[in-house]
Amino acid sequence: MLRYIAFRSLVALFLVWVVVTIVFLLLHLIPGDPAELLLSTGNVAADPQAVAALREQMGLNAPLWQQYLDHMAGVLTGDLGASFRDGAPVIEQIALRLPRTLEVILAASLIATGIGVPLGTYAAIRADGKADAVISFFASASLSTPVFVVGSVVILIFAQELKWLPAGGFVPFSEDPVEHFKLLLMPAGTVALSLLAVITRMSRASVLEVLQRDYVRTARAKGLSRAPILRRHVVRNALIPVLTVLGLEMGTLIGGTVLVEFVFNWPGLSGYLVSAVDARDYPEVVGIVMTISVLFVFLNLVVDVVNAMLDPRISLVR
Amino acid sequence: MKASTRKLILPGTIVALIIATVILAPVLPLQDTRGMDIPHRFAGPSAAHWLGQDEFGRDVLSRLIWGGRASLFIAVGSAVLAAIAGTALGLLGGYFRGAVELFTVRAAEIILCLPPLLLALLVVTILGAGTWPLILALTILYTPNYARVVYAATQQVRGLDFVTAQRAMGTHPLKILVRTILPNVLPPLLVQMSLVVASAMVIESGLSFLGLGVVPPTPSWGLMIRAARGAMEVAPLLLVWPSLALAGTILTFNLLCDRLQSALDPRAVTAGGALWLRPRSREAKKPVTPVAAPAEAPLLEISDMSIAVHDMELVRRVSLTVRPGETVALVGESGSGKTLTGLAMTGLLPDTLRVTGGSAVYTTRDGTAVDLAKLDEEGIRKLRGDEISMVFQDAAASLNPVLRIGDQLGEAIQAHHQISGEALQKRILDLLRHVGIPDPERRHRAYPHELSGGQRQRAMIALAVANNPRLLIADEPTTALDPTIQAQILQLFAQLKKDTPGMGMIFVTHDLAVVAEIADRVTVMYAGEVVEEGPVAEVFARPRHPYTAALISSVPESGAERLTAIPGTVPSPRNMPTGCRFAPRCGFATAECESRSPKAEHPAADRVTRCFRWENVT
Repeated sequence: MLRYIAFRSLVALFLVWVVVTIVFLLLHLIPGDPAELLLSTGNVAADPQAVAALREQMGLNAPLWQQYLDHMAGVLTGDLGASFRDGAPVIEQIALRLPRTLEVILAASLIATGIGVPLGTYAAIRADGKADAVISFFASASLSTPVFVVGSVVILIFAQELKWLPAGGFVPFSEDPVEHFKLLLMPAGTVALSLLAVITRMSRASVLEVLQRDYVRTARAKGLSRAPILRRHVVRNALIPVLTVLGLEMGTLIGGTVLVEFVFNWPGLSGYLVSAVDARDYPEVVGIVMTISVLFVFLNLVVDVVNAMLDPRISLVR
Repeated sequence: MKASTRKLILPGTIVALIIATVILAPVLPLQDTRGMDIPHRFAGPSAAHWLGQDEFGRDVLSRLIWGGRASLFIAVGSAVLAAIAGTALGLLGGYFRGAVELFTVRAAEIILCLPPLLLALLVVTILGAGTWPLILALTILYTPNYARVVYAATQQVRGLDFVTAQRAMGTHPLKILVRTILPNVLPPLLVQMSLVVASAMVIESGLSFLGLGVVPPTPSWGLMIRAARGAMEVAPLLLVWPSLALAGTILTFNLLCDRLQSALDPRAVTAGGALWLRPRSREAKKPVTPVAAPAEAPLLEISDMSIAVHDMELVRRVSLTVRPGETVALVGESGSGKTLTGLAMTGLLPDTLRVTGGSAVYTTRDGTAVDLAKLDEEGIRKLRGDEISMVFQDAAASLNPVLRIGDQLGEAIQAHHQISGEALQKRILDLLRHVGIPDPERRHRAYPHELSGGQRQRAMIALAVANNPRLLIADEPTTALDPTIQAQILQLFAQLKKDTPGMGMIFVTHDLAVVAEIADRVTVMYAGEVVEEGPVAEVFARPRHPYTAALISSVPESGAERLTAIPGTVPSPRNMPTGCRFAPRCGFATAECESRSPKAEHPAADRVTRCFRWENVT
């Protein structure tokens, strides 16, 4: 088990290194001078002398390999550099905004799993019946509707027409917990809807598969009644692939909540990335992308380890 | 036309309609997408403007169609480009492997390490917004998907004989790739394509919505939604139209993908559910009123029981009697219906099968007679694992892989007894010891995969005897085991019989050597019928059916002078002979055998044979 985790961690570290390197190269090899971009306002060209001074100050004149080494050394010591825009340490902004994005994703995952697993199981039990057809259609429909469409329609209904919830924004938990959760509800619900569809479909397929297994027949042969068979034998085994998918989806969401954060004015990490990319703020972009990919890779690692714990066969296989 | 193909028509037609509409946009009588009409901004639907006018008074319908044209162009364009790039990478990587694989497939997979929207965002902001950067971003994004699909398919195909043969004949690798592999990977590519179009539309509209995609004033659904959000209070309908168009189009492509998948790969269609989980869906069986069994009643008496799938009879009018303490062997080739007969006794038949006639009267512990074939799920559940229990063939598959052996055992006991804690633990350990699992104090915490094959089968047997059943049905319990382990398990069964004198046993097997060792009586089945029945020693000494005789002489241990295989195969239930079912393979068959079905006859008091010529057999 330990060896398995160690091996997977090494692979994860390698992946992070590859991603960070690619992002670094991508941003440095493309045309466009950040110093010039930073100093020019509107259509007025920047003063060449000021640009040169700024380039020197930003370390952009050093050879690429040196910039790369400096950057990697910084990454290893937890220093992601200072923002070009305001000189503030990038790590601070990330530390401030990352929890907000994670909060939305976590809340959405809880909602989606809490509803999706029972719903998918029910659809599987009633496979090919009317309830199954209805559930499957809604799953397809919500999978097919982009989050910003759902978000916009949700605002139209709950904020504008019914006036139940504020249209968007953010209040820190420490200031007003009630308002905080009120504001969290719509973005989390919106993300949850598409996640719910994925979880429901996956649970349905997985339960259907497990129902055909011999050990379910054994459980019936023991004379167990429906509830314990479903709980201990069917759902427990069916959950393994569902959790894998949930973990992968959560990883995707860490960088994929851009649209939801935009729609609901939620000041999370993704929105920060959009503005950083817009301003060509290298340290910010690299820092955020690295954070996201570390989390992404780490989540995949957690999923594998949890799988190994749920399914005792895995640790033996490796 | 197959049902799965027919289901393609609806999404296929809608997709064709959508594509035709956007292609024909320039020749359709649409209003100018940029023609502003400020006085009539936010006007509702009218004869001139079917879907109303937007914040600049522009015609919504015409912008919707032209917007769809932009979205679909980008989505389909990038899907095609990514398909070309991905297929090339996948083919090369899959065919050559080694270093080529590393630089094609594995390199492409790095892209999958980044959240998709994030990557598209990076590319678009680096290159600036617009249609072509979008297409490039989406192409990069979806190339690994295709590469993976094609890579996997190529791996499969390259090992096939005809590809190896071509290579041996010196055909150029490139030619092999294009000629033989490409057509084979086309179906999964098609599925992937419709999926990519749908998800490319999601990302394209999302980026346009953020203002990073299609540049205004070119209409696009994402941009229309973005604009409509600002005017939500005035004209909520403006939000509804592009949302519907976008979600509807994506839904159609997703639907097309799903149905293509099931049309191209019928195996992927999952088997539907499980009827036992739906108490009300099975045709309501009348509650069986318990009847006191006669004093000398056998433990189980199956009479004329038939089992069928739809209209096809798999088991026909089988009769079988098990008395307390008696072991009946049920013998036959695969497909003879012996396992189905066993499963029917515990109500565990697969959903599509049902008992269509006859009865299986079982005498319970408290002396009432119940018909197992007519009990409802709850009624038979109470008997299962308690009075009647089963040992299955493949213990590895029949034990839950994620539960400890001890827990699986405890749950079987608790299903029928109020027992827990220390007492339960002691019972579990006793059981494991009883079936000969060494070191039960440690082994009860083991998972099935941590046990050897023989120990797993012992655990399976412990499950079955956990509640001291009165009838034990063992379905080929030794078939999957090594010969030495087989002997040990048979010894265990013999031991169990000795320890529990009242227990009746049905031992399903195709192995006559096992029958001689363990059974008191033997019932021989052929093609769903009982062909012979009697005490083991008598049947072996003097078989009264040609099939039994043939079976005996095909066993090495039988002492027959020459081993003879039975010619031919068991007839399929679809194609049963009209007369005696064994006639086509029988050396004794006459014209009568082929025209009429023989009835059960009694050569001796406790023997049965279904043969016209039993007197001639031995």
